[in-house]
Amino acid sequence: MLERGTQKRLSEDSTVKQLIRGVGALGMLVLVTPTDAVAQHEMHGMTMSGGWRMVPMDMSMPMLPGLENAVPVVGPFLPGRGMDPAMFPEARPSEHVPMADGDTLDIAVSMVRRTIDGHEMIMFGYNEQYPGPLIQAPKDATIVVRVTNEIQLPTTIHWHGVRLNNRYDGVPGVTQEAIERGDSFTYEVHVPDAGMYWYHPHVREDVQQDLGLFGNLLVTSPDPDYYGPAHREEVFVLDDMLMDDQGALPWGDSAPTHALMGRFGNVMMVNGETDYRLSADKGEVVRFYLTNVANSRTFNVTFGSAEVKIVASDVSRFEREQWVGSVVIAPAERYVVDVRFDEPGEVVIANTIQAINHFRGEFYPHVDTLSIVSVGEDAAEPSVTAAFDTLREHTDVVEDIDLFRPYFGQTPDYELETTVRVRDLPPSIVLSMEADTLYVPPMEWNDAMPMMNWLSTAEQVTWILKDRRTGAANEAIDWRFEIGEVVKVRIFNTPDSFHPMNHPIHVHGQRFLVLSMDGVQSENLVWKDTAILPVGSTMDLLIEMSNPGEWMVHCHIAEHLHAGMMFSFTVEDGQP
Amino acid sequence: MHPILMLGALLGSLTPAFPVMAGPALSAREVLPSRELAVASFCIVPTGPEYYAFDLFATRNIPGTGLAIGRAEVAVSGASPFSIALGPDGSYVYDIHISLERMKPPGQGRLVAWVTTPEIDRIVRMGALDENLRSSGTVGWNKFIVVITLEREDDPTAATWSGPVVFRGMSRSGMMHTMVGHGALQQENCAAYGYGN
Repeated sequence: MLERGTQKRLSEDSTVKQLIRGVGALGMLVLVTPTDAVAQHEMHGMTMSGGWRMVPMDMSMPMLPGLENAVPVVGPFLPGRGMDPAMFPEARPSEHVPMADGDTLDIAVSMVRRTIDGHEMIMFGYNEQYPGPLIQAPKDATIVVRVTNEIQLPTTIHWHGVRLNNRYDGVPGVTQEAIERGDSFTYEVHVPDAGMYWYHPHVREDVQQDLGLFGNLLVTSPDPDYYGPAHREEVFVLDDMLMDDQGALPWGDSAPTHALMGRFGNVMMVNGETDYRLSADKGEVVRFYLTNVANSRTFNVTFGSAEVKIVASDVSRFEREQWVGSVVIAPAERYVVDVRFDEPGEVVIANTIQAINHFRGEFYPHVDTLSIVSVGEDAAEPSVTAAFDTLREHTDVVEDIDLFRPYFGQTPDYELETTVRVRDLPPSIVLSMEADTLYVPPMEWNDAMPMMNWLSTAEQVTWILKDRRTGAANEAIDWRFEIGEVVKVRIFNTPDSFHPMNHPIHVHGQRFLVLSMDGVQSENLVWKDTAILPVGSTMDLLIEMSNPGEWMVHCHIAEHLHAGMMFSFTVEDGQP
Repeated sequence: MHPILMLGALLGSLTPAFPVMAGPALSAREVLPSRELAVASFCIVPTGPEYYAFDLFATRNIPGTGLAIGRAEVAVSGASPFSIALGPDGSYVYDIHISLERMKPPGQGRLVAWVTTPEIDRIVRMGALDENLRSSGTVGWNKFIVVITLEREDDPTAATWSGPVVFRGMSRSGMMHTMVGHGALQQENCAAYGYGN
């Protein structure tokens, strides 16, 4: 259903003739045959007006009539367009950078040459690496990172999940000015919590992050028994990229494309590679640090028949370890899992989903291989079977959370609602979206409407976080707290908007607990900085306002963020 | 007649599950078949996303169910460490809670709840309804049908039902519409066109 404002704009901006054409187009759509559908894709692989290339899609799906030659209303952007990739250094895999308290690391943001899925492309890199350097620092250290921008776009670095000094949070216009080309900014990153974090730009994430600007920050605990025993540790940075037979599809220049659903990729990557392989001994326990850096895709990571134990997430370990069949990881989330490979042979680590074909009105199984683990015949030494089979309780986490249990039952201090407003979309898109509103899935696991999604830009789509009590939306929301306050926030993801969608909600600079989903209490709590909110669901968060400054709350689907879905709140430090 | 009652009578006459019966006058709460009313009046599980709850409709195959209404609520288990729970193939896994109202437990036999796929090629027995006409279980399919049958006895080992179907209802996902062959606003079952998964 369109919101009132949108209906008004449509009546102002669209002629009756356009609407009639749109209705007729839908009529044609329902009569189309598969043969007709394929014939409608003649523009695939061809350069369209302004340098756009049509987004890849299932050729058996008919094109919405009137959209055969349509392109986004913004211009296309490709880094180094028209330049020879050979001019740029070839990026290399991420390097491990252990740092001690007070150490300094220089990071250059520059253009690099990479080959993905057989296509040589100009992309971005931190220190010419993909992902960026794996920074490791001990808990409670402060490291210094000097960032120099050598790309044509202004940039920053946001230290995702880290409760650091506000001035180094990397939000342009809030905590710093964006770093222009040729300029530098020095971040002092204090790391008070053990765990896996990550860093990325907070300027046009849909472009810069997608082009390779991300890296992990591993904060180690002084406790040698912080995690259970494992034979080794692996960092898995999960990503996808939208490509056709010429390489990456252009991004929007003045605003993101794919503003409705976010930019789903069709090429899956682990640590920037499409064929990431590991080997393991029989019985080997591997600790995986999973980070999802995709613009929009939530992964459901399966590990074949291997046993998987979930240990930790964004900002802490869980209250207790727990067996899981898969790991559901939304954009910007992190999970730590221990996996035992017991059976010799190949174990496929995959994204295993039930995708949706809206045109056929059905779910269908879809599996993308992320990585293959070759498990040998030799037994891993020493055996950690007994320890692995034991689910540990993290009493220090439980005791920490105990301090907050008195707040669990309190009435929400704030209530947010998510929705979306659109304007000036092609009538056939508006009509087809309205016709397909009888069922909206809780999660979008795939881009089931690639043309409509591609053509929706952040100039036409506004995603909204609305304060239900004041009616204020997005940047008009002005929440203020004193340091030490414990705040309960209820967020409802309305299923009644023009295009409901799941949202990974990220809170900067603080930590929170997901107390409940739809009134069902979480039984195994963990401190988070990002949590996915499915369509139709209500999520209760308990946020500890522990860190003074002006901080952001936003959806971490990069295109939704740029389409307005954000606001800031202030935590006063109480000092005169 | 009060306008609301007139509207209720009209809607009731068009909705098999909520017939307007002869006899004592019914209040608006009893007549109006709105979803909001049904939830407010007897929802036993104030959890789960309201959007994915769905109604169960009486077949009136057994006496005493002419005015009966049913409801199925789904929710992500609190045991899931994620905001959503998935099975090995990526299907949603929900706790499902069944409740019936406006009827009495049958004098003979037991009401048993089942969950089945739209093709009815896989059936899972949820369990017998209790004396309050409630039952809970788990479902691991994206599209499914809840079936409540009247069984001669409660047999936990039964692979499928043998008694008459008393209630049935389809998950919200059953409302997915295909645009192949017929339009989204038409009423025919999509399965008639070969698209029903």
